[in-house]
Amino acid sequence: MWRVGIDVGGTFTDLYAWNDETREQVTSKVLTTRPDRAPGVVNAIREAGIAFNQISHLMHGTTTATNALIERDYPDPAMVTTEGFRDTIEIGRQHREQLYDPYQVKPRPIIKRRYRYTVNERTDAQGAVVRPLQREEALAIAEKIRAHNIKSVAVAFINAYRNGQHERDMRDIIKEVNPDAFVVISSETRPVFREHGRFTTTAIRAATIPVMEVYFARLEAALKGEGFAGSLMILKSSGGITGVDYAKQHPEELIESGPAGGVAYAAYLSQLCDYPNIIHTDVGGTSFDVSIVENGKGLITRDHEIEWEIPCIVPMLDIHSVGAGGGSIGWIDEGGSLRAGPRSAGSKPGPVCYGLGGAEPTITDANLLLGRIEPTLGGKMTLDRDAAEASMARLAAGIGLSTIETADGMIRIGCENMAQAVKKVLVSRGRDPRDFILASFGGAGTMHACFVAESMNIPRVIMPIHAGVASAFGATAMDLRHDLEAFYFSPVATADLAAVNALYAQLEAEGIRLLAEDGVPRERIEVRRTAQMRYVGQTYEVETPIPAHVLTAADIPAIEALFHQCHEREYGVSSDDFAPALVSLGVTVTGKMESPPAVEVGVQGGDPVKGERQIWFNQAWHASKVYNGHALAPAATVAGPCIVEYEHACAVLPPNAVATVDRFGNLVIDISKNLVSNV
Amino acid sequence: MDKKVVVDAAVVDQTKLDPVTFEVLRSIFEYASDRMSTVLQRASFSPILADMVDFSNAIYDYDCQLLSQAANCPIHLAAMKFSAEAIIRRYGLPNIFEGDVLCVNDPYQGGTHINDMTFMSPIFFEGELLGFAVSRGHWMDLGGGAAGGQAFAGTHIAGEGLRLPPVKVYERGVVRQEIVDILMNNTRTPHFVKGDLQAHVGCLRAAILEMQRAAAKYGVVTLKAAMKQLQEYTERIVRKSISEIPDGVYEGEDYADTDGFSDKPIQIKVKLIVEGSGITVDFSGTDSVVKGAINSPYANTASASLYSLQFFLAPHAPQNQGMFNPITLVIPENSWLNAKWPAPTIGCTTLTSAKITSAIWQALAKAIPERVTGSTSADCNWFVSSVVATNGATDVFSDLPAGGWGATPFSDGMNVTEDPLGNCMNMPAETAELLFPIAYEAFELRQDSGGPGRYRGGLGAIFKVRYLAEGALSMETARTLEGSPGVAGGQHSDVQRQIKIHTDGHREVIGGLDAEGNWKNPLLCAHPFSHGETFMFESTGGGGYGRPWERDPQAVLEDVLDEYVSVTAARERYGVVIDAAAMRIDESATRALRQQLAA
Repeated sequence: MWRVGIDVGGTFTDLYAWNDETREQVTSKVLTTRPDRAPGVVNAIREAGIAFNQISHLMHGTTTATNALIERDYPDPAMVTTEGFRDTIEIGRQHREQLYDPYQVKPRPIIKRRYRYTVNERTDAQGAVVRPLQREEALAIAEKIRAHNIKSVAVAFINAYRNGQHERDMRDIIKEVNPDAFVVISSETRPVFREHGRFTTTAIRAATIPVMEVYFARLEAALKGEGFAGSLMILKSSGGITGVDYAKQHPEELIESGPAGGVAYAAYLSQLCDYPNIIHTDVGGTSFDVSIVENGKGLITRDHEIEWEIPCIVPMLDIHSVGAGGGSIGWIDEGGSLRAGPRSAGSKPGPVCYGLGGAEPTITDANLLLGRIEPTLGGKMTLDRDAAEASMARLAAGIGLSTIETADGMIRIGCENMAQAVKKVLVSRGRDPRDFILASFGGAGTMHACFVAESMNIPRVIMPIHAGVASAFGATAMDLRHDLEAFYFSPVATADLAAVNALYAQLEAEGIRLLAEDGVPRERIEVRRTAQMRYVGQTYEVETPIPAHVLTAADIPAIEALFHQCHEREYGVSSDDFAPALVSLGVTVTGKMESPPAVEVGVQGGDPVKGERQIWFNQAWHASKVYNGHALAPAATVAGPCIVEYEHACAVLPPNAVATVDRFGNLVIDISKNLVSNV
Repeated sequence: MDKKVVVDAAVVDQTKLDPVTFEVLRSIFEYASDRMSTVLQRASFSPILADMVDFSNAIYDYDCQLLSQAANCPIHLAAMKFSAEAIIRRYGLPNIFEGDVLCVNDPYQGGTHINDMTFMSPIFFEGELLGFAVSRGHWMDLGGGAAGGQAFAGTHIAGEGLRLPPVKVYERGVVRQEIVDILMNNTRTPHFVKGDLQAHVGCLRAAILEMQRAAAKYGVVTLKAAMKQLQEYTERIVRKSISEIPDGVYEGEDYADTDGFSDKPIQIKVKLIVEGSGITVDFSGTDSVVKGAINSPYANTASASLYSLQFFLAPHAPQNQGMFNPITLVIPENSWLNAKWPAPTIGCTTLTSAKITSAIWQALAKAIPERVTGSTSADCNWFVSSVVATNGATDVFSDLPAGGWGATPFSDGMNVTEDPLGNCMNMPAETAELLFPIAYEAFELRQDSGGPGRYRGGLGAIFKVRYLAEGALSMETARTLEGSPGVAGGQHSDVQRQIKIHTDGHREVIGGLDAEGNWKNPLLCAHPFSHGETFMFESTGGGGYGRPWERDPQAVLEDVLDEYVSVTAARERYGVVIDAAAMRIDESATRALRQQLAA
């Protein structure tokens, strides 16, 4: 049977599949269909030549929820909050994105104020009821919701993370009057304290549930119509997958469903090739995405904001994006400095050399002038080098550099912007770049990867063999996963361990139940415990691993020591002057799936050398070989300056870089000779 | 890579950077100060740092000129330099060593108010001084006559808490316990001292590490040259922007409602003299030093003036010394904007700086009317309260419920957003209730509080906190006599007001105007609250832009649907008649009413 991974991107729908009996692998790439993306998914499977009734698992990554949110393209939901907190999701934390911009505006709230209602109920910080929920008042709101024909409602009350009874009662009353409405409550969505994040995440869930319900239902129908009878599984932001029924109910967990596949591929490489720590980078036309895989696992954040002050606090792969890609435009700012991006020519009008009307030089134009791009894109189209040169010359005149120096400068600045994004996720979380290998995905990624790595002092770069369909490949390499959380606030030293053990047991039971629904037997389930911890009196937590057994007083010194270590690593300081405290307990359950086969490449046929080109590096032209990557045998070595071309991607090796093909066909580039040694 | 340490300034001056290295280093400097803020926020203990983000971090070059600053509180921006200079003056450069952490909070030595503690470490690389990392944070309490130093009944700086001259807290990496002990002995919140100190030290270390990495990679000479060239770069942007403002003298004014003692407002008068690519900000004619605690020391007035201009000169330029060079300040010696010992200053960073901004923006409105916005709520509304629980445990909590921003020539103003002087965050209700014996009852938008206009001023807030213990609350605020001014025909917003809700539900105005038009002093000093009583604050919105009866009626209807604006205000202020039952615009009644308003 086939295990199929599908990633639906803005332009292309990518497929990677492997057969768990024959170990056969296939890929395909088709245009994404719009507005309904389901036909594109069907097309990709047809294109790959796979019979629908031979698919056992279809793993799917989608940006549908994120797109709907960003465009506010969903039917109006309603919200019910505690009196006095109607505007929590609109006021946010009352700060602004730009320190000095007097004209800035804030993003629109996820739910309109006119559909946000309040009730005079109250629970205190210990979970005790101060003012009971009045049924009459609640019923009146349920009637208003019906009058407006609203089908999706978020209920979020103050201190409900401690006691969700009022939220549950409110939900029941709304359902009484509106039996077909979706009603989601904050204490079940994410029972953690600090109202802004919890309320907003609940609002996000209410807004996207109807959208995803429709999307997934269409997709299921389309697949079923073709004879598909396997399991449809959806990629979550956390880097795990889940059954489609859970995904319909929890679209707030799908915000990074698209990029998560690429990170999963990085995690897969990490295990297969024994690189414990990988920086995953992906360069597209307009943006550069970066995230970290550490000890084989993607690094997780709980601070993700969809837009300014619109946080989604579910555990999510820490994927950072900046506006730096092939379409990034070169310009001179008001102080006379050369810049690259974040403005992008996108796919329309695109780079100047595409001849589609673009007039401002882009990163792609710069690469063309430097000789790093093949002028016919492998015969796909003819690039207009003269037009690119003319536009670059205009830019060059403004800063007094030659045309070629300006092109080179744009690349270096673009790469530095990418390096800063890498630093943001790496160094700002206390990680040392030299412990990592940089993995480069996406067609344009490996044109810049060596320079980004150089700027970060990272000695090695890897370009995986499936870089062209990375997210689809990664989808098939994922495990089923759920992250559950419960609030427990106490200094570690005085924690009621019986209560802690009971909470962990309860979370684990729930996690195991969720995986059982997806058909995972107990013996394939791995359970990991964590706690959000901080020093007594601090505000921000650091995730700390917790031993997965019944805790006794004897475990406390080890837990405290682990917390000090984690704090030191995140923030550079720690001290046993302060008592560590628990804030919430977390359980991650994973259901092991079968990984795609590690196929060793045989000795390839054909002449690997395709030709030679002049390429600009380090202020001079260099005669550089061009290799056909698919013809390189395992253990083959190529030395920079050179280009290695693949069907969907291309690697640029600067002088002194040396690349070796590993036994799985991945290109591993060593740039240590170009690094500063003593940093 | 030049391994050799070079101190010759001429070599640095002559080093020409290629545009690309320049751009790369510029982003590294920016990143380094951002990183400082991440560490300080995440590792600090007191809510005013961790939750409310009342701090700023910056890197200064080897001449103690600002190189980069993380985006937090503009009011700290220029003042930190005066603190750093005071430290260097006190010790002399040869006596400042690698591993030192120095500290000062003296308002008359580059400080602003006592609670702003400034920490500084030198940045060395292979023995060469690259610059200084400086971190300024608002500490919750450093003693004084009322919690948080907000002793608005006092008339002497000694009543506002511990005034530290420049001291070393760490020397060559070793903590000086006696200084930590002094800090611990002079606060209502000793439990925050060690943790906040550790966070500041971690934040300084983060900057040092980043700068050393850059020095190793690019060399000391290149790094130093980039520092100077970055400042010149910003200066070019700012000068270019100033030269686009027509030459002339533009006047503006604003006022504080009271200093806590006076029954008449305290005036700020400002003249902006624009000449070519420079601006002189002249405060001649401003009132003399006052008895109450809103006096502003030179460093604070300088900071407020500089950040106020920054909004309209070069909002996106890298923040460094180059912003300040084109600007000359004239602050009369005896005025309340140039406070000397022993004038009390606790309200200067919040209340006074906001009024300076408003005065400067109103002057700018005469120079560049097509670009200036309606006034913001122009206050920080910072309050501090002690709480004594039934078991006798004392603690201090604080918050700063914001008002709205002025409408712009292109859009409505932002609702409930921290004043330009800072970029602090509010206290989450659920955090506050876990830590203190209080209950947050409301923080929501206040209907009709935005100044009407073609574009509406952003709304202010209604804030309520109930005491579950005995408390004493101090607070600075103004705009209690009239709201935020509009521009270009835009109207004032509503006034601010402090209220005590008694346990029987009775609402007593304790600051500002009550229903009968009686006004009470809004500088609250240790105002007592008993168990069960609620402190309520109504903040104001921003001023409007353009005539309200020129606002698109559909936009007014949308505002009514969202209850930003009431049906009554839609009719009376905007001339839009809305049928409240059907929620539809009565077109003909609206036309008639608007003609009447325009006449």
